[in-house]
Amino acid sequence: MTARSLDWESGQGERKWRRRSLWALLLLVPLALAGQAYDSVKTLLGGEDLFPRQVAWGQSAHFGGSDWKLTDLRGAFGMSSLPPDSVPVLADFSVKVGDPDLQKLWLGCKVMLIDAEGRRWSPTSAVSLKAPGDVHTCVSAIFSGARRGDTLNLRETFLVPRQATKTIRPAVGLASERPHFLFFQLEKD
Amino acid sequence: MMRKMANVILLLLATALCYGLQVSKPHYAELIGPIPAYGKLGDAVVGRGFEARAAKVAFSRNLKVDRYGQTKVFTTGGIWAVVTVEFAASAQSTTVAVASWRGPTGLAYDQTERLSFADGLLPVAIDPGLPKKARLIFEVRPDEVSNATLLISEKLMSALDSQAEISLGPVAAGADGLPAETVDTLDLTQPI
Repeated sequence: MTARSLDWESGQGERKWRRRSLWALLLLVPLALAGQAYDSVKTLLGGEDLFPRQVAWGQSAHFGGSDWKLTDLRGAFGMSSLPPDSVPVLADFSVKVGDPDLQKLWLGCKVMLIDAEGRRWSPTSAVSLKAPGDVHTCVSAIFSGARRGDTLNLRETFLVPRQATKTIRPAVGLASERPHFLFFQLEKD
Repeated sequence: MMRKMANVILLLLATALCYGLQVSKPHYAELIGPIPAYGKLGDAVVGRGFEARAAKVAFSRNLKVDRYGQTKVFTTGGIWAVVTVEFAASAQSTTVAVASWRGPTGLAYDQTERLSFADGLLPVAIDPGLPKKARLIFEVRPDEVSNATLLISEKLMSALDSQAEISLGPVAAGADGLPAETVDTLDLTQPI
């Protein structure tokens, strides 16, 4: 074997590996980008209520360590001093506490109403209706000191346009479960 | 020799290109800054989460407000500019909390904090389908009144989020240097 043929062979090998490396980049660059973006995407998705988990009327769903059940959704008609064509809506839930670490599991608790167009209403402070003493809001329930097996009664008050009341349905999101959220069906559904 | 020259020229070109890129690149604060939604007085300016329409601007020397049932008059060394704005939420409930008045020379005035107890000031919570009016109140210099821009955003650090930029147009000045339509006292106890 002459020096020249050795040279030629190593040149061939080098060329082959260069080609392989270039092809490998096609795979490695997207993989590296995905690896870098993974945490950001996870944080982004974890902050949004994106994927609904449907809950049939009368059923309860395990969410954030507890069992959530929608007990009532009704309008409080006939109130004065509100914007025209707006209706206060009360959503009542009964939650059986499973894991009592609510300060961790219920963090970022958000109850909302969603209509057929996908518009979302958050609880309002414009309407204050008197509630019985044992009724909490989602946020106040976090600090209620509830134990395993306790049942919490939650109520949130919303202000929605009258024409939206036909299609609104309640939903609940918790930081520990995002991007999934509970989407409750009503009796009429 | 030619090859060396070519290399030197290439190096110089690359340096010039890098320098050009460096001086022309936007500042980081601009890259992640608010995204402007432009409009003028009377326009509905549509941002990502909210819509704002500045209906009117009023100027006054004094403001009359209700404070815990007592009437109080606020004077100023400059002039009070009161903008009535109608807000609407786009797809979900939100809060509009920040507004500032940018004068023609670039001086920016935040909303006054002297009236924090009055009704109808920001922050204002808005729900879809339920538009709401609010008053934005600024204490500005008379020479910052004409051709000012109103900046409104949901929160203070509105990085990569909409900011309504509403140009308020020219304002004719009177003999005393104040806007011609300046009233002596504006009554904020009246509903918006």
